[in-house]
Amino acid sequence: MRDRLTRLLGTALVAGGLALGAGAARAETSLEFYYPVAVGGPITKIVDGMVADFEKGHPDIKVKPIYAGSYQDTITKVLTAIKGGDVPQLSVILSVDMFTLIDEDAIVPYESLVKTEADKAWLKGFYPAFMENSQTGGKTWGIPFQRSTVVMYWNKEAFKEAGLDPETPPQTWDELVAFGKKLTKKDASGNVTRWGVQIPSSGFPYWLFQALTTQNDVRLMNGDGTETHFDDPKVVEALQYWVDLSRKWQIHAPGIVEWGTTPKDFFEGKTAIMWTTTGNLTNVRKNAPFPFGVAMLPEHARRGTPTGGGNFYIFKKSTPEQKAAALTFIEWMTSPERAAQWGIETGYVAVSPAAWETPEMKAYVKDFPPAAVARDQLQYAFAELSTHDNQRVTKALNDGLQAALTGAKTPAEAMKDSQAEAKRILRAYQ
Amino acid sequence: MSALVPAAEGEGAAGRLLETAGAWLLGLVWALPLVYALWTAFHPSAYSARFDLLAPLTLENFVRAWAAAPFARYFLNSFLLVTSILAVQLVLSTLAAFAFARFSFRGRDLLFALVLVQLMVMPDVLIVENYRTLRWLGLIDSVLGIGLPYMASAFAIFLLRQTFKTVPRELDEAARVEGCSYLRLLWKVYVPLARPTYVAFGLVSVSYHWNNFLWPLIVTNSVTTRPVTVGLSVFASTDQGIDWSVITAATLLSTAPLLLAFLLFQRQFVQSFMRAGIR
Repeated sequence: MRDRLTRLLGTALVAGGLALGAGAARAETSLEFYYPVAVGGPITKIVDGMVADFEKGHPDIKVKPIYAGSYQDTITKVLTAIKGGDVPQLSVILSVDMFTLIDEDAIVPYESLVKTEADKAWLKGFYPAFMENSQTGGKTWGIPFQRSTVVMYWNKEAFKEAGLDPETPPQTWDELVAFGKKLTKKDASGNVTRWGVQIPSSGFPYWLFQALTTQNDVRLMNGDGTETHFDDPKVVEALQYWVDLSRKWQIHAPGIVEWGTTPKDFFEGKTAIMWTTTGNLTNVRKNAPFPFGVAMLPEHARRGTPTGGGNFYIFKKSTPEQKAAALTFIEWMTSPERAAQWGIETGYVAVSPAAWETPEMKAYVKDFPPAAVARDQLQYAFAELSTHDNQRVTKALNDGLQAALTGAKTPAEAMKDSQAEAKRILRAYQ
Repeated sequence: MSALVPAAEGEGAAGRLLETAGAWLLGLVWALPLVYALWTAFHPSAYSARFDLLAPLTLENFVRAWAAAPFARYFLNSFLLVTSILAVQLVLSTLAAFAFARFSFRGRDLLFALVLVQLMVMPDVLIVENYRTLRWLGLIDSVLGIGLPYMASAFAIFLLRQTFKTVPRELDEAARVEGCSYLRLLWKVYVPLARPTYVAFGLVSVSYHWNNFLWPLIVTNSVTTRPVTVGLSVFASTDQGIDWSVITAATLLSTAPLLLAFLLFQRQFVQSFMRAGIR
């Protein structure tokens, strides 16, 4: 999920370009829209195209997308701009940064902007799983836009070779272990040439770990973002399972598995099953040299995955006209037709049930059924880990997870330490 | 070495061998990422994690990297940025260092202490304050805006002052007796003698600003102002999977000017660093 690329928009609009009056009777509203990608790449072209379409239908609103780098870079840029007194009107930022943005007093809730019945209906039109990360204290702070979940990809050729039915992915934790044992292949000298399964653990292991905890039917935090439950016995059990995959069952590469190169390992047959974001769907479809399948993650106490990705936020220091224009733009970008187009072109999960009812989306799913797996899994999804001071709390969990995976600590110890650290950080918000 | 007693000579040879081996080892460790980048960039992506001497060579990665973003413009921006910063830095700090080194005036030591304090402050701490100032000046999203906060370099002032202080007073006085003005004295006597320091500082400054990422990202919004490092982040898309071949090709492209310059002027750089005492 996280980092996304892009390209900057051609011209330096800036101060001078703010179409001062221009003698026209109708005033134009200008919006600066920070979007988390670096310059270039296919995604900027899609965004530019959508903005151009929007402006055609709304001649009185000018939107200037500013491609601001990764999600981390974007929130840094936004917060710096706000403190420096130079604010964008809207931005796409990680859904989990909601509490941070609220604490900085940077954003406004959508309830303060929606007026008409149509607006209110639109606000209710999204998948509830995505809204979990967008609402707190009875208010909506973010609108889902580019959202994803974790899914399982499997190599049908490897399944056949191991004597498994290539059309049946593992359905439970136990099956994953049983299948994994058959799929793990060693050469004559005992070195593993293919692992059964790979769950990446670099960068943001908490996100994939949350798939395991959700399947074990336990939440990592409360809805107010003030409390974490890292040392819950069920959380420890989930971590024990992850550690056991490599340590006990030896069907998973030991130590930390790199997120960025996991798809490559999958293409090269170094792992038969991988867990990764739906955002990789297009990449896998283009590059896998063998037939592959996409499935929901296996269940334990229940099915489960966290959601991930970015939301639209509207910033407080804008004029009322700008806020209204920003709302119009966001409503347009998340309308069923646009959400469907966005999902088809990028691989993100279209954010509203209505988007899946559009003819384009139906045709796409018919042509490529794996696209619907993420949607069907949404009913089992929990909100991604998000608290006040989110970056530090998440780091506390990540450190614990990696300590357990590398064997530096037992799962119980690691989670106890992570919980103590998170509790210390969150004390200020109790 | 000559001061050692003869019996120690055997040990000296062994010590030298050890030193040489150590230097090679460190050199190899340092060069490894570069070697990997070279290997990966010139081969199809199927070979990015596999070593095969007979793997086919290709330039396609460079073509793809070049096409992924407007790199030509980024290179121009980076070039304008580092040259403008360096030019202003050299002029300002030469004058300031000369004043600190050769004139006595009231408050000189206090002022110099302030310059030294600036050395201790990480520029990242000042991001918000700098942003505010630049916005007030209307320089957000301009190449000048990226460079301005760095143009008065405390490091350069300090370095040049120390160098100027080592210039023999006799030279200075002889020139003055001949009727040389202060500016001419600076230009004819001090600057030529400080040449190694200028080269060394120039290298440090150029490589720092060529590689700087966070600040340029924050103050710029458009293709016409962003430097090559920001353009490079196009390839940091962990979401769609990482293609090492293109990343390494793009990295080589963006570091090539610096690497080439270093290789060409290597001898001068090394000598300058030794003389200027920066290591």
